[in-house]
Amino acid sequence: MEFHDNYPEYEKMSNHDEAYGKKARRTLWNVFWIMLVITIVELIIGFMAPSKGWSGTLGLKVLFIGLTIVKAAAIVLWFMHLGHEVKFFKYVVLLPYAIFMLYTIFIVLTEGTYSGEKEHYTQTRQIPLEDQLAHKKAHGGGHHGGGESHGESSHEGDAHH
Amino acid sequence: MGQSVEIDTKEAWGGGQSPFRVSYGKMMMWFFLISDALTFGGLLTAYGFARHKYADQWPKAEDVFTHFPFVEQHLPLAYVGLMTFILIMSSVTMVLAVEAGHRMDKRGVTVWMFWTIIGGATFVGSQAWEWYHFIHGTDVGSLRDVFDRETGTYVRQVVHGANMTVNEYGNYDVPQFANFFFFITGFHGTHVFSGVVINFIIFMNVLKGTYEKRGHYEMVEKVGLYWHFVDLVWVFVFTFFYLL
Repeated sequence: MEFHDNYPEYEKMSNHDEAYGKKARRTLWNVFWIMLVITIVELIIGFMAPSKGWSGTLGLKVLFIGLTIVKAAAIVLWFMHLGHEVKFFKYVVLLPYAIFMLYTIFIVLTEGTYSGEKEHYTQTRQIPLEDQLAHKKAHGGGHHGGGESHGESSHEGDAHH
Repeated sequence: MGQSVEIDTKEAWGGGQSPFRVSYGKMMMWFFLISDALTFGGLLTAYGFARHKYADQWPKAEDVFTHFPFVEQHLPLAYVGLMTFILIMSSVTMVLAVEAGHRMDKRGVTVWMFWTIIGGATFVGSQAWEWYHFIHGTDVGSLRDVFDRETGTYVRQVVHGANMTVNEYGNYDVPQFANFFFFITGFHGTHVFSGVVINFIIFMNVLKGTYEKRGHYEMVEKVGLYWHFVDLVWVFVFTFFYLL
């Protein structure tokens, strides 16, 4: 009956004073600098990868996904403030998502293996690589030579010609 | 910030308390974000599946996204790096607006929200620019077998740019590359756009003094959650589309 009269005003609970705000701002800027450094490192590695032969290696993939998860955690815990919420609420938000996504990834990894049988499932038509490269050479060499440096080594066993 | 009031257990069982110690609106924003994150998670998993299937033929991002505005040079991934920086930066200005709101600092909220809206609008514009170049393509193009509906046969021709059935990127014909790019960056761009609109509405309310009167700026915090979520998704899109 008198239910709402005693209901705590959660909206106002997160208000704080200037001293606390100063500390909070310093934390937020530190999180920003960490995220910026991670992004720049990612871009430098991504830029160097083709010439160093790192492209597509498992180590590179694991590194990029790991750094991404670090950035995601920083956004969720500090920017979205979930790190400061009640433990119960943290789990209610994170656990269902984690369970669903791990399940989805599990299904793709286990049941998706048969998609490797390209003969049966590929419907696209592949033009012989020699024709493709000849066209690019005749018309100015693709976009700045990017097209030639990859491809020939990565696809010797093309079944479609 | 997290200064939760200790609740007497006996009192808590009597009802009228939130076990989460958050307001209804904030809790529901989180629940909405979980469902939205599941949508993006499903899309990115599907993308990973398609990409694994065409692992050998999939175009390399550093060969596709090489343009930079007003510069004729070949600058792979530079522009998307800048876009990422702008979005992270606007996330920081948003969180600073939320922090100013917790101190009931109307001027602070106004200034930081203004920069958030500018950052968001710049990001949407950048994405439009990138889409334009992606669709327009290069002068050289690539050879593709394009299905001709009238004759019912495949005709070998030079293709420039990208659409939903064929694209010039890479040395092999992988339409899925453009399809996933359009769908996932488009879906994310729609989120950014709606985020800018929502931020603008809340910004107008801040100017009018609505939240000053209300005694708290929780509305700013709620749209802030949405805005950070948009940044969060971009972190993953950036990794899976451009870096890997």
